[in-house]
Amino acid sequence: MKAVLGILMVTAGIILLEVPCLLEKKLKKELWVFSMLLTFGVIISILMAFGVQLPSPKNMITVIYKPLGDIIFGILQ
Amino acid sequence: MPDNWKISSGQFGILVALYAIGTTILITIADLASEVKQDAWISVITGIGISMPLIGLYNAIGDLYPNMSFVKAIEAALGKWLGKAVSILFIFFCFTGAVALVWIVGNFIVTQMMPETPVLYINILFMALVVMGVRLGLETVVRSAEVLFPWVIVFFIFLILSSTSNLKAENIQPVFESGIKPILRSALFFASIFSLPLVVLLMVFPASLNKLKEGKKAFYTGTLIAGIIMVIIAVFSILILGSDFTARNMYPTYVLAKKISVGKIIERVEAVIAGLWIITIFFKATLYFYAAVLGFAQTLNLRDYRSLTLPLGMIVVSLSLVFFPNATDFIVWDTKTWPSFAIVYGFFLPLLIFIVGKIRNKKEKTTAGHGKADA
Repeated sequence: MKAVLGILMVTAGIILLEVPCLLEKKLKKELWVFSMLLTFGVIISILMAFGVQLPSPKNMITVIYKPLGDIIFGILQ
Repeated sequence: MPDNWKISSGQFGILVALYAIGTTILITIADLASEVKQDAWISVITGIGISMPLIGLYNAIGDLYPNMSFVKAIEAALGKWLGKAVSILFIFFCFTGAVALVWIVGNFIVTQMMPETPVLYINILFMALVVMGVRLGLETVVRSAEVLFPWVIVFFIFLILSSTSNLKAENIQPVFESGIKPILRSALFFASIFSLPLVVLLMVFPASLNKLKEGKKAFYTGTLIAGIIMVIIAVFSILILGSDFTARNMYPTYVLAKKISVGKIIERVEAVIAGLWIITIFFKATLYFYAAVLGFAQTLNLRDYRSLTLPLGMIVVSLSLVFFPNATDFIVWDTKTWPSFAIVYGFFLPLLIFIVGKIRNKKEKTTAGHGKADA
């Protein structure tokens, strides 16, 4: 619970730091992208704080790119 | 987008050197030694040989697309939609690099220096610095690189001079025992960490430099300086620790620093030496993160990239905790997956952009020629 509270406090800090400035300059698109990224970050952080085992993006990268490496390093075997 | 700061070629050279030394100095030697044993230093020299034509390719891209960052060059070459899709993949590559570097710093400090500190806090502290650097902009980062680069050299010279008494020549014999193919293979692996990630600097290279021609020279010199440092580190690791002990350690250069003992007065200076690679890794991580954030903003046509740094930094910290479940996983990633990942974005993608750019240039010239003939 403490961890979630900490995450929310950090999030509030980030919002306070960025949003007034973005609103003042009327950067609407930036505000949208900012909110979406922040929401994504908060969601995965809170899930991790609750101990949910998230899949690592590494596994996906390995499936896609490793065959190429196997071919190149296979030639030099 | 505040694109109006320009960096000088000397500053760019320092940036290249720090970026190339980056993590290479800390982790690569161990993987090389486990592959080719005492010939690791030959692999390093071969790897630097492979790197030079690669820098030539990057310079050629700088010629073809002056005043464009790499993401914009991809869009110019491949058209709007395909270009944006490829850009997103490239940004993902930079982003992954930043996450992996934060993990390396956390792992290094927790396993070697501060075993009782939770890794989360080290990652947060390190990422906070990186985010701060990116928010302040490229110019600030480059100036701090100028201040810190002499220190890196001083620490390095100190490390080398004070460990000369431990050299044992028999550790490097027999030379060339492993044969050509394993050496080439490990040289390619070395290049995948040493020079292929330099593609990330193409986000800075033609666009933010004030003189392109001198910048191209600085690209070579920076890589060469980093290369010389790497060769010396490889030779010393093998001569002092022996290939077997080098291969068994995750951070052999750190063990090298632990062995320093000057007249029983200067002892246990490894924490000072560790400052050397914390500095280089910081610049590597900052440039990866800067490229990811700037590329993201340019792909989405945003006017200000600064607002994206904090949320993306938060995502990097969270991902750095789950990216590698353990150190073995990291070694498998570093030796098996990362080389192919880096070859795709560090070699094939720039090559494609270069060829397409050349063809487009030729077409434009011929159509312009026809226009003249008609007139």
